[in-house]
Amino acid sequence: MIEKDHVIVLKNVSKTFSIRENKQNTIRSKIASFFGGSSMRKICAVKNVSLKVKKGEFLGIIGRNGSGKSTLIHLMTGAYPVDKGGFSLIKEKYMRLSLGMGFNQELTARQNIYVNASIMGLTFREIDDKFNEIVEFSELKNFVNTKIKFFSKGMKSRLSFAIAIHAKADIFLMDEFFGGVGDERFKSKANEVFKQSILEGRTIIHVSHGLGTIKQYCNRVVLMEEGKIYAIGPPEEVIPIYKELSKQKKVNSDINKS
Amino acid sequence: MEIIDKLYQKIPENNRIERIWILARTDFVLRYYGSSLGLLWAFLNPMFRILVYYFVFSYLVFKNRDSSFILYLFIGVITWMFFSQGTKKGMKALNSKRYLIENIQLNKLDIFYSSVITVSIGFCFNLFIYLLFSQFYHVQYNWHLLFAPLLIFNVILLIFGASLILSTLFIFFKDLDHVWDIVLLIGFWTVPIIWDQKFIFEYYSFMLYTTPITGILINFREIFIYGNPLHWDLFFYDYAYTIFVILFGYLFFKKFSPLAAQSK
Repeated sequence: MIEKDHVIVLKNVSKTFSIRENKQNTIRSKIASFFGGSSMRKICAVKNVSLKVKKGEFLGIIGRNGSGKSTLIHLMTGAYPVDKGGFSLIKEKYMRLSLGMGFNQELTARQNIYVNASIMGLTFREIDDKFNEIVEFSELKNFVNTKIKFFSKGMKSRLSFAIAIHAKADIFLMDEFFGGVGDERFKSKANEVFKQSILEGRTIIHVSHGLGTIKQYCNRVVLMEEGKIYAIGPPEEVIPIYKELSKQKKVNSDINKS
Repeated sequence: MEIIDKLYQKIPENNRIERIWILARTDFVLRYYGSSLGLLWAFLNPMFRILVYYFVFSYLVFKNRDSSFILYLFIGVITWMFFSQGTKKGMKALNSKRYLIENIQLNKLDIFYSSVITVSIGFCFNLFIYLLFSQFYHVQYNWHLLFAPLLIFNVILLIFGASLILSTLFIFFKDLDHVWDIVLLIGFWTVPIIWDQKFIFEYYSFMLYTTPITGILINFREIFIYGNPLHWDLFFYDYAYTIFVILFGYLFFKKFSPLAAQSK
């Protein structure tokens, strides 16, 4: 049953990738594999996942590398089609929050703000209004008309973060969103604004290895393991399972090595 | 100025249209304004091509063709470059704007609208130069020129339709650009860009029906050089052809484009 306040619904969703090893996606290789039999390898990234997310929920997704977290996000938004038999639905305006979309080294900070903010759903007039706020927040007042190829990594990420907090959508999907945004001072400032502007009344899907943020914000956590949902529940229940699982796997791989 | 501001406030805001426009504009700016000669490059490349063809063909190959040959070449070259740049850019549009498909909610066709707008800006600029240049040759324009936008729009639609097909194929065949380069090269010499289009009517009339660009070129020249009325049969045939390409392209695109984000 899909209830009215469910904004994301996944039902028996699987995703299999076919990967050609040592070969590229070219006409030549297509013909060669047609005659010589294909050397396709199937990789099942997500297996039979069912999940419903309510409006306003803050859902965390954790799991080890390669457990299918990012693929799951792409399946939710429909960027990847799901395998046959599965069903995926997202009801409200969504955005996979990613920093610096459409940024170009050859454009000035001003031009990049307009491109990036427009991609994030702001109209030109809204950008005009928020322009000073963005520049102020990113502490780049003296570099508005400088091409960002002269910017340091930190400056770029500050700028992109300052724009991203104005992004317009009802559902945000975040894939390791907090990856080194500026120095400590900026980080705490960013955290503050993030809480105020992004979290406010929105549905959030948050993929992270940072258990701190997960524990702090999430109502519910999904633990992915080998493409399946291994555990689901409130963070205080799921995080210990995750830690236990990581320890186990580490022991296993140590045994295999020796 | 206040009146302009007030009018500006009246225009309804639309993020989708603005986004298409800013992506198109940015691509155009990046292409030309990064260099010191800027927009001039949009024109220098076709100009030198035209000059090279002109000297080679009017002095070495054909000899004594009339003086309007350079105008004939001008129209041919800029139209062909419009088509070839547009389709080349369109072919890679899905791939180069993958970050949009992966991250935000948008109609994938928007990517193509913005790609075709980018190349159209360049073409309109070249056409403007042509209008100035043709004054040296005392070309007399008449009311037939009013049909020019319709012809330009035909090329735009053709580029759009071809881009849909090519970019969808590009998902599966990452070396399609080499193949397409060859197709364009063959096209360049089979379409009457350099050689005289009157041969078409005499010997190769089938050419009129295989490539829509041929008919569009002939009509372009009628109104931009000779001041004659359009060949309406070609005009309608080319539009019909183009609409067929778009329909086919759209269905093809619709079926396979969901795979665009996952194909690496």
